[in-house]
Amino acid sequence: MIWKRYQKEIMVAGALLFAFASFIYKSVQHSSMAMENQRMVQEVAALEETVSLQKIWGDKRIIQKLESVKKMIPSSKIKWTKQGKKLTMELHGLRPSELNNVVTKLLNIPIQIKRMKIEKKNDTYDMEFACKW
Amino acid sequence: MRFTGNNKSILLVHRNMRPHTSDVAVDIMLTPQFYMVKKEKLPIKTRYRAQKIAPSLFEGLLEKSSTYKFFVYQEDDQWVFIAYDPEEIAAFLAQKGLSKEKVGKVYFAEQIVKLLDRPIMLSETEVLSVLDDTVVVVPASALGDIDSTEPVLARPKRSVSFEYSEKVLLNKEQAMVLAAIFVLFGLIWFAEGLRYKKNNRFLQAKTEELYAKYPSLQSRYTRESIISKYRKIDASERKKRKIIGQIAGMLFKGVTITLFEMTDKKYKVVFSVKDKSVAKRLEGLLKSAGLKKSAGSGPSEIIVEGRL
Repeated sequence: MIWKRYQKEIMVAGALLFAFASFIYKSVQHSSMAMENQRMVQEVAALEETVSLQKIWGDKRIIQKLESVKKMIPSSKIKWTKQGKKLTMELHGLRPSELNNVVTKLLNIPIQIKRMKIEKKNDTYDMEFACKW
Repeated sequence: MRFTGNNKSILLVHRNMRPHTSDVAVDIMLTPQFYMVKKEKLPIKTRYRAQKIAPSLFEGLLEKSSTYKFFVYQEDDQWVFIAYDPEEIAAFLAQKGLSKEKVGKVYFAEQIVKLLDRPIMLSETEVLSVLDDTVVVVPASALGDIDSTEPVLARPKRSVSFEYSEKVLLNKEQAMVLAAIFVLFGLIWFAEGLRYKKNNRFLQAKTEELYAKYPSLQSRYTRESIISKYRKIDASERKKRKIIGQIAGMLFKGVTITLFEMTDKKYKVVFSVKDKSVAKRLEGLLKSAGLKKSAGSGPSEIIVEGRL
């Protein structure tokens, strides 16, 4: 009969306990989600950066893009030396517009510029360019 | 006198009852000696409303010093109002050796008025009987010969119970409201917790999907190795291209580049300028771009050098 004597209090205490347990459960899940979110955000950001950098600097079609530069200039003005993933170009007698086109094109190709020398000779330009990828 | 109920015995409580000796919990049925009854035909539809007006019906009939409670139910087309004093009843039961903790449900003899087909002997002098459609206690002598066998009675549907503590913090309604509020909050929080848990699973699935797309990047070592390699290249090459872009932006009428040289570590630019005003403007542009004129510069030639 003791339980009956306190049945109202037991009922309220039980409900309170349930509410408290639910609150703890919610709080634990919330903090766990926040931590997991943070970890995920960092992981995804690192992953995306890796993929993006690899895509840019590890591009497999770099040589084709460089070949297109070669085609922009008459062959008489260009000396082209390629060794593996290294390229050296010597360009002579470039008109300013030709020089602009070549430089713009080269800067848009994801290559590592090792040396770039542009020298004005009267009204034309000579250019030496070495890069790798 | 006891009647066998569904699970507990029903003890008929009257003034001349014998002391209760058993420790077993019982339900009790009060005789009219412990309550006052009124039957009224009222235009009331709900028991709640009837309960509300019950005190006014007994106004002037009850002792002001007592704490009466009211039990109301509908019988055919009329309402039955019963006023009782739980404290008085509890005190009487205690005298008879029955503490209120041992009492389960409390019924009123009036509730069985339709089932009381013959008088019930309470003691040698008193009888429980029905007079004018109301259960009453009458002297035994008034009814002549009475069958003293124990009657079998149905248990009434409704009952009341004692408040156990004198210092009750919550009554039943308050307790139920509080419990309902707590349960409601509990359910809301639990549902929210479940939602967070599912959200975690969703993010986990997203990561797994990304790794499935790029399996080579699953290893942290591989990722870090790739990042450290390409970050260095990326920063250095972006800087080179930025400087080339800045220098190209400084060409305007009267300025030409006679020499530009760049390696992995340094760069050098020689600008040829037409006159002093052009030189001044160029110097301003260099300054705003954060580039410095080299010491070897002359009046018609500005040299810029820097490290990468």
